[in-house]
Amino acid sequence: MRRALLLGLLVALAWPAGALAHARLKAEHPQFRERFEAAPARVVLRFDQAVDALANSIVVYDTRGKIVSRPARNGADPRTVLAPLQRVPRGAYTVRWHALSSDSHVVSGVYTFGVRMNAPPPTEAYGASGPTRSEDVVRWLYFAALALLVGGLGFRLLVLPRSIPEALERRFYIVTGIGAVGIIHVGIAAFIMRSEDALQLPFGRLLYGDLSPVATGTRFGQAFIAMTLGFTWVLALLFLAWLTGRRALLWPTLLLALVFASGLSLSGHSAVDSSWFTQLADWAHLSAAVLWVGGLVQLAVCVWPAAPGLRREAFLRFARLAPVLIAVLVAAGVYLSILRLPRLSDLWTAGYGQVLLVKLGLVSAALAWGAFHHLFVRPRLERTGWARRSLVGEGAVAMTILLLAAILVNAKPPDQAARRTSLVSNVSSSPSNPP
Amino acid sequence: MPPPEHVHWLFASGFLALGLFLLAEAVVGREVWRKRRWRAYLWPSTMFLMGLGMWPVMAFFTSSTLHMLAHGAWAEVMMLAGAAELGLASGKLRSPLWRLAIVLAFVVTGAALLVHEQNDWFFQRSAFLHHLLGWTFLVAAVFPLGRALRPRSAVFASGFALAFVAVAVMLYSDRDVAPVFGHLSPMAGEPHR
Repeated sequence: MRRALLLGLLVALAWPAGALAHARLKAEHPQFRERFEAAPARVVLRFDQAVDALANSIVVYDTRGKIVSRPARNGADPRTVLAPLQRVPRGAYTVRWHALSSDSHVVSGVYTFGVRMNAPPPTEAYGASGPTRSEDVVRWLYFAALALLVGGLGFRLLVLPRSIPEALERRFYIVTGIGAVGIIHVGIAAFIMRSEDALQLPFGRLLYGDLSPVATGTRFGQAFIAMTLGFTWVLALLFLAWLTGRRALLWPTLLLALVFASGLSLSGHSAVDSSWFTQLADWAHLSAAVLWVGGLVQLAVCVWPAAPGLRREAFLRFARLAPVLIAVLVAAGVYLSILRLPRLSDLWTAGYGQVLLVKLGLVSAALAWGAFHHLFVRPRLERTGWARRSLVGEGAVAMTILLLAAILVNAKPPDQAARRTSLVSNVSSSPSNPP
Repeated sequence: MPPPEHVHWLFASGFLALGLFLLAEAVVGREVWRKRRWRAYLWPSTMFLMGLGMWPVMAFFTSSTLHMLAHGAWAEVMMLAGAAELGLASGKLRSPLWRLAIVLAFVVTGAALLVHEQNDWFFQRSAFLHHLLGWTFLVAAVFPLGRALRPRSAVFASGFALAFVAVAVMLYSDRDVAPVFGHLSPMAGEPHR
């Protein structure tokens, strides 16, 4: 009974809960991503504290960057700010707002609405430039962390025997732990960078920026929330497995990690307008890749230095698993490539295709390297002094492939770019920019 | 979304439990307290679970970057401190330096509280409490530090426990925009209770 009460108390403490800001936007008209059949006459923002309206407190842009709002002012209630709108035609509109709160900080936000059409997500608001090279690097770090975690777990469960030397066990938990913590940290960084692009604010003012439209109004934000919470549970399970020494706990840890890794497939550019089968293929492609790369890392970083007696067994068992992973990787990759690049000439004419071509070249190199290990290193494993260096080399090529995968995920395939008219593409042709 | 004070009260319950567990240990002594093995895991696991419970607050509370980062920092240091103490209790970790994780948690928590509160002390009750909590954590960091250096000191053990009880009382006192000492900035909005 006492233990049950204690357990109940601990569960209650872990129960998810929310919190509100000290000063924030309480309500807005039009609402986030609201669709109108008749154009609204004005934009009204209501805060939870009194605010001072600035000249540019509310600025509404059309897709070409033309300002369609008049100067903002405080309403009768000092907590409201409003701006009348011109008569606006059918289209998507971006509301950028700033207000001086009583503590002298400028709070800011952005959201979109549509007139006789659906509003785009805030990440495609007017002024947002889309993923940058920094975001490519961040996504690559995310993939790398995922490889350390998922690949490490898969390697421990599918390749290594139940009982392993303590030094190897310690290395395994260090590497997978770094992966789990890295996923959470890099995920937060990616979310803030994407929000920064949508809000178009310098870092100092971004600290007071309202990120909730990006968190709740975009697939990226929803995936961020689900994946952050999911991977904190993965981290907790991993820790519990280490603390209790129960290998069996690693199974739910791996399954949970694979489930939440699907957030990447469900939230990337590739998810828009694609079927569930395409998203499944994307997830299978990613899962096979991180299991393969993470396995290579475990071999080179954990098994080789920490458990010389297990080298041969681990190498041979991984050599049996790797072809299965590579088969899934290649099959899903070919399917997705054909889907996204329907014309062969896209491979050398479109930017997306060129990156894919480089990636295919590196995948071929990695496969050839793997075949070399299989045919030449495996029979001479005990006599080969450079096997570890060779594994590190193959792992480095695999990591580079993940970098190219990150660039491809953030890029739009040529057929999609042609099909959809995005606000982002309109921005690049527009002469004016928001403040 | 519940009002912020409800969330603060929820975590106040956690801190109160932490404080009472530690106070009991300080009063009866570590040997007596740990005669039942599970008691050694009681406060560290509570701390770890509180850290885990802070992540949803970070993820769902995105009305400003600053608050999001602050809640993330609290979640992380609470999990770290709880994990380190669990590792020490189980014997998985042996270096006494891991006891400094809780000191780090106090310092980070205090600093994040002070940094993320944008208003002055007397702006409203919650602002007052954020400042008070921030300085309490920073000053009270001396207790876990002393406990790490002198594990058998009753003074440091009691101070460490009472710091959590004090934090719990402060969090239970939290109300959204109620006045502090009769003063409420007119800019803070109407008191709603």
